[in-house]
Amino acid sequence: MISQAEYSKEKKVGEGTYAVVYVGTKQSSNRKVAIKEIKTSGFKDGLDMSAIREVKYLQEMQHINVIELIDVYMAQSNLNLVLEFLPADLEMIIKDTAILFTQADIKSWLLMTLRGVHHCHRNFILHRDLKPNNLLLAPDGQLKLADFGLARNMGSPQDFLTSNVVTRWYRAPELLFGARHYTGAIDMWSVGVIFAELMLRIPYLPGKDDIDQIDVTFRALGTPTDKDWPEISTFGTYNKIQFYPPPSREELRRRFIAATENALDLMSGMLIMNPHKRWDPIQCLTNQYFVELPEPTTPADLPQLNKK
Amino acid sequence: MTTTPKPSNGADAKAKEQGSLRVTDDDLYRHSSQYRVWSFTPEQLTQRRAEVNARATAKIEQNLRAFRETHLALTAEELAAIEEKAVPVSTEEELLLVSYFARMILSFAGKMNLPTEVAATAVSFFRKFYLSNSVSEISPKEVFHTALFFSCKSENYFIGVESFAKKAKTNPSAVLKHEFKLLESLNFTLMNHHPYKALHGFFLDIQSVLAGKVDMNYMGQVYTDCKKIITDALLTDAVYFYSPPQITLAALLIADEALTMRYLQMKFMITEEGPTENSQGEKQDSKEGASISIPGQKLLEIIKECKEIISNKVAPPKEDAVKVTAKIHYSQNPLTVLDRLKRQRESNSTGATPGQTPIPEDSQTKRPKTDGATN
Repeated sequence: MISQAEYSKEKKVGEGTYAVVYVGTKQSSNRKVAIKEIKTSGFKDGLDMSAIREVKYLQEMQHINVIELIDVYMAQSNLNLVLEFLPADLEMIIKDTAILFTQADIKSWLLMTLRGVHHCHRNFILHRDLKPNNLLLAPDGQLKLADFGLARNMGSPQDFLTSNVVTRWYRAPELLFGARHYTGAIDMWSVGVIFAELMLRIPYLPGKDDIDQIDVTFRALGTPTDKDWPEISTFGTYNKIQFYPPPSREELRRRFIAATENALDLMSGMLIMNPHKRWDPIQCLTNQYFVELPEPTTPADLPQLNKK
Repeated sequence: MTTTPKPSNGADAKAKEQGSLRVTDDDLYRHSSQYRVWSFTPEQLTQRRAEVNARATAKIEQNLRAFRETHLALTAEELAAIEEKAVPVSTEEELLLVSYFARMILSFAGKMNLPTEVAATAVSFFRKFYLSNSVSEISPKEVFHTALFFSCKSENYFIGVESFAKKAKTNPSAVLKHEFKLLESLNFTLMNHHPYKALHGFFLDIQSVLAGKVDMNYMGQVYTDCKKIITDALLTDAVYFYSPPQITLAALLIADEALTMRYLQMKFMITEEGPTENSQGEKQDSKEGASISIPGQKLLEIIKECKEIISNKVAPPKEDAVKVTAKIHYSQNPLTVLDRLKRQRESNSTGATPGQTPIPEDSQTKRPKTDGATN
């Protein structure tokens, strides 16, 4: 990969715990880029795990719905990731009340999200932090999965994984129960919640804390029983939780007024409590929802943030 | 790289299945950094090692010239000693030393009870590091801890640097010293696909393809044997020439040729007899192989080639590693050649036998012994 002279950093646009993000330019092509400068001093264990994960997984994925890692270079003993410049994210769009969007727009964003997730999963990579804020939008309307700082390989069955992943509102029930073994189904749950949020335009399961998250989740979707999820009673916390009946189809229709029956099927498929039964990306992508009218909006025609 | 064709209005879902855009596992592998960046032909690999060695050699020779120019008072005997002893290491010697330390990583990881994949990735990192750096530029002794520590992080098996350094009997700053250099030498690509995963897959598939014809306990033994063969294979150049499942099949062939051949016959309709079956092998697919269009005979050729490479166990003896280390030391510090000469002269006068290769002070005396097998 190429040297630092190739990239200029023009403006600081963000700062996280382990990185500073700049907007810059790739000199040879005049392409606008985002440069994530990984802080290296002050970490006693050397290069930070999040940075390692981000480099590791992004190097393996070339897909229109996954953020592109254009280059990596060292400068002044700092690690710099040169990424595609993506000025907006789905959370901004959802929150901007001046923007109206249609069922066709939602279908388009969901389609692009599922394609990106499918690409991760067929490469045996779990994202583990899907949320509107990590679904970035390119100027041409394409949606891209970003922030692979929590990603990991799908484990072998005997591997122990940490359940402390995914931002709370988008956390699958098995994670809420502290599961140490889980699969791509955790990402699918997050996509289901994002789908609901796109239709409601407010967060669907906004738990105030980890305990409340369990309550909010099961109040909305029903407490799972060992009939539909036999392993559930092996989770220590299961017996302590409040029992709620699952919502009737009629209740779902009332909550998601504009949703078609196929849309409700798809959402419910992604929000099945039992991770073994929850729909995978292929089941979702081949669902009738993507075949029925309206057609998904062409990315270039999707609503965008108003430029100031 | 999009498998799912864009749904169009009113199109039947079945139409999607007919799409020729289907992305295969092979396509995905070809997009991996392991294939894009770290797969070579034997010629490319040889050239790469030669270039690294040439760069280091040029530098050492330049230093030696400078040394001679600044030490004009050297006697003919001293000059001859420098000429003989202070010589840059060859590509083969570099490779020997790298292999020696790569094997040490494995035994070290074993002692620390690290998962197989962590050890395998550390070996991979370490060996790749010396495809861009020479052992006379950065000593393997300084890098092998770094490779193992970095592998722990990359394989999601985090150990704090303090406790790692304690177990490794070194200090944190030594472990971290070359971390960036390592990452850079790896071309910032960290994903490793090891043959162990493929082994698990074949292990399950053999049981289903040869259902009722193999003994389960025996299969367990084959699995264990193969795992060891694969670990040895990670020290060979097969990892740069073949894909992980090819290496696994080669390992299976070593572990039990008859069983593996029977499996391959059932799976891909191939036989020992060779070329005569070629056209048949490609057309007639067995039930299991129906969806896989792999030319069976070609596959067999490939895994037999691979078997040849991984059959040659890479385990250089310690004495050889010590010799190379000494050579690096002398080539970088010609003064020590003179010191040695002086000592020899002194001991000569006291009657000791001259001409034995002494081991410099910083040698490997404390290193654990390898299993002693030679090539």
